[in-house]
Amino acid sequence: MARALARINLLRGADGAQALIGIVLVIASIVIPILAGSAYWTHNFLIVSLFVSVAVVQNLLLSDAGQVSFGQGAVFGIAAYTVGMVGTLWSQGFVIGALCGMAAAILLGLLFALPALRVQGYYLGFVTLSAAVVFPQMLVALNDYTNGINGIPVTVPGLSEQGQTGFTLIALLVIVLTSAALLFHAAFRATRAGRRMRVAAASPEAAMTLGIDPGRLRFLAFSIAAIGTGIAGLLYVPVLGFVSPYAFRVDLSIFFFFSVVIGGNGQLLGPLIGAWILYLVPNALLAGWSDYRLVGYGIVALLIMLVFPDGVVGSMMDRLRRFRARESVPLIAMDHLLNDPVTDLSPPASATSAIVVTGARKSFGQLAALGGVDLSVTAGHIHGLVGPNGSGKTTLLNAISGLAPLDSGVIRIDGTDATRFAAHRLAALGVGRTFQTPRIFDSMSIWENLMIGADAAPTHDPWLLRTLARDEESWSESRPDLLPHAQRRVLEIMRVIASDAPILLLDEPAAGLSPEERRDFARLMRFLRDRLGRTILIVEHDLDLVWRVADRISVLDAGLIVAEGPPDEIHDNPRVRALFTGTINA
Amino acid sequence: MQDLLIIAVHGIGAGAIFALVGMSFNVVFNASGILNFAQGNLLVLGGLFALLTLPGEPSVTGWLVLLPIAAIVLAALVAIQGGITLLPLRSSVEQHSWLITTLAASVIISGVLMIYQGSAQPTVHSPFAGFRLMGMRVPASYALATLLAILWYVALYLFHTRMLTGLAMSAISQDLDAARAAGLRVRRLQILSFAISGLIVGSAGFVAAPVMAIASDSGISYVMNGFVAAVIGGIGSNLGALIGGFLVGVITSYAAFNYGGEFQDAVALALLVGVLMLRPQGLLGRPAARRV
Repeated sequence: MARALARINLLRGADGAQALIGIVLVIASIVIPILAGSAYWTHNFLIVSLFVSVAVVQNLLLSDAGQVSFGQGAVFGIAAYTVGMVGTLWSQGFVIGALCGMAAAILLGLLFALPALRVQGYYLGFVTLSAAVVFPQMLVALNDYTNGINGIPVTVPGLSEQGQTGFTLIALLVIVLTSAALLFHAAFRATRAGRRMRVAAASPEAAMTLGIDPGRLRFLAFSIAAIGTGIAGLLYVPVLGFVSPYAFRVDLSIFFFFSVVIGGNGQLLGPLIGAWILYLVPNALLAGWSDYRLVGYGIVALLIMLVFPDGVVGSMMDRLRRFRARESVPLIAMDHLLNDPVTDLSPPASATSAIVVTGARKSFGQLAALGGVDLSVTAGHIHGLVGPNGSGKTTLLNAISGLAPLDSGVIRIDGTDATRFAAHRLAALGVGRTFQTPRIFDSMSIWENLMIGADAAPTHDPWLLRTLARDEESWSESRPDLLPHAQRRVLEIMRVIASDAPILLLDEPAAGLSPEERRDFARLMRFLRDRLGRTILIVEHDLDLVWRVADRISVLDAGLIVAEGPPDEIHDNPRVRALFTGTINA
Repeated sequence: MQDLLIIAVHGIGAGAIFALVGMSFNVVFNASGILNFAQGNLLVLGGLFALLTLPGEPSVTGWLVLLPIAAIVLAALVAIQGGITLLPLRSSVEQHSWLITTLAASVIISGVLMIYQGSAQPTVHSPFAGFRLMGMRVPASYALATLLAILWYVALYLFHTRMLTGLAMSAISQDLDAARAAGLRVRRLQILSFAISGLIVGSAGFVAAPVMAIASDSGISYVMNGFVAAVIGGIGSNLGALIGGFLVGVITSYAAFNYGGEFQDAVALALLVGVLMLRPQGLLGRPAARRV
């Protein structure tokens, strides 16, 4: 049994498999009570399923986009209440009411996205929580429009009438909505936008250097959440036949959030399991003691969090994965790439400057990290940037890639003034980079980590992925968290190659590599320059390596360029010798 | 003129409670990076303690004896809650588990309050008579809460600057890894920070009980207003929370006076959004350095 389970493709197929299990459970939970003729359980499971679909889009918002919102109950409520107000109080009927409800839900959902552009984490959580606290108060306060605490009865002819078999149109709609939400989430994750959203959530800096605008993806996530939550809110009205402020208190928002985390943040099936446990356990077990329901619900949430810190589904998947982890981890080898006949990718060599930095200054408080740096990197060259720790190398790299704007000075990329460009615009100009600590995304497969490189250049031919196609299957099934450090570096470099960026900034790419791996790495550098025509600016402490591969070298000390020229010349420069006494053996 | 006085008195009284909640947030946040969502309901528990222990016409002596007991009882409760919250946190603060465990604790307290009180709104009587200020009757609890907020600010200031334990706690807030490497028992200090926050909300709830709503749904409102106070002042800064609390109190009570009590929280929300959009680090907070 355990072996059979372990064979299920846990990464690529996991989302799809979980979504399918979820859909089966949703259908069964509604169809079985209807066939059994239990109006009580049919009603309960219709409501739970609506809550599940809200939790599914909240799962996308929380784990794929990294946005903490405690206010989805207000989005749900505003859709439902608008139906009541427009449909019943203003006698416009359900359809017009539903349209207005959707508009209201999307508007409120996007209002949540506005502070998300400015603040993150628990700040955003508190803003949305406060909105959820205020929402029912406003329903009461504006009683001229909302009927206040009396609520609004809503009858929707046709939706709740039972056919011969006891099925209702609304039951069908609820099944369709919940299934669609699950399928959508699974499918969205496999899209370019879905991958890029997860990258932006895991590391906004790395995302920007891959051409991603994190703000735009947050907006997209809030929009998706608002649409899904809004539709569920609309259907809630005919299921209940009544809306009142009491139903949309802050507790509802907290319930949605709890469902996601209790079920397993990021697991497709998580929201369903979470919502079922949190709704059914207190309601079924404590049915006779309604006063104790709230306490019971709180205790269930607390206990599950203590027993399963990654949520119910998350902890189970983790155990399954560890069971499989004893099998081999694939090796990320460069051989396939280096030995592959790549044709026609080298652009005509020209001696123009790819990067020109003039008068770059940058201070952190009293400390001048860059004190007026001039640097020119010729297109198609490997340019080494060396210097002692704290000399400003990474600061310069951050400035060129747009992550830390200069105080003064000018940066030109291929002749374009890019001094004030944000990192994602610099990426669009063709600047790719790697980091001192490789930015590898452990929640994605190794193959997906490569794909987000290719995603950065959607109009280019993904030749690298094709070259590596024979590894696709094994790399798609493994997560990078088991890769040794050197392999993570190689993966990050492969990713930036996949992005087809003509200019590469590499921050200490050889740190932690073995001598053998360093030799391979030097081959890779030359391959990138000679066969693919890339321009490379490399910051590296391994001076042997830099002297072996670089066409030109700049030496940075205390924020100033102290020497610049071809390797041989620099090698004999007395100032440089003084900086690196005894370390240059080239 | 009379209107402004009413707004000011009510605003400062309510603001003192928000400031106390804000400071109790800060104590835990500085030591652990956790914002304890249950803080508002714990404050209400402090009020419930007063309701259960104080007789209909309490004496000043009895009140003075019960006040420290309320603080200690709540400190013990919050220390236990803190221990439970810290349990599943394996290493980092980058987890959602504390959001859930502290919110769950808040929900449980809400549930307990609901069982206890049903829907009736019980009132607590103060042993101190109100006094007259320019012709207006001021409940003693407002003045006492204000005094308590200032006392707690001074006590926390002395604790964090003069006492070894307080200094160690400040060290955690500046660099957790360095503090651990220096041999500080981080987990114990963090639980102590929960206990101190319990002393603050316990005493605050007890003192403010006569002017507080002791109900299952009022805790979340105190959490929210206390957080707004802390954000306006700059999360982590106790002086900021003190000033922020009074600001939130006066501004929301102005809104409540002119437009109705239902709009009090809405105005607090607007304040929160406004501050976060314009000055996310608050009045006295340091802008967070971004690491690449």
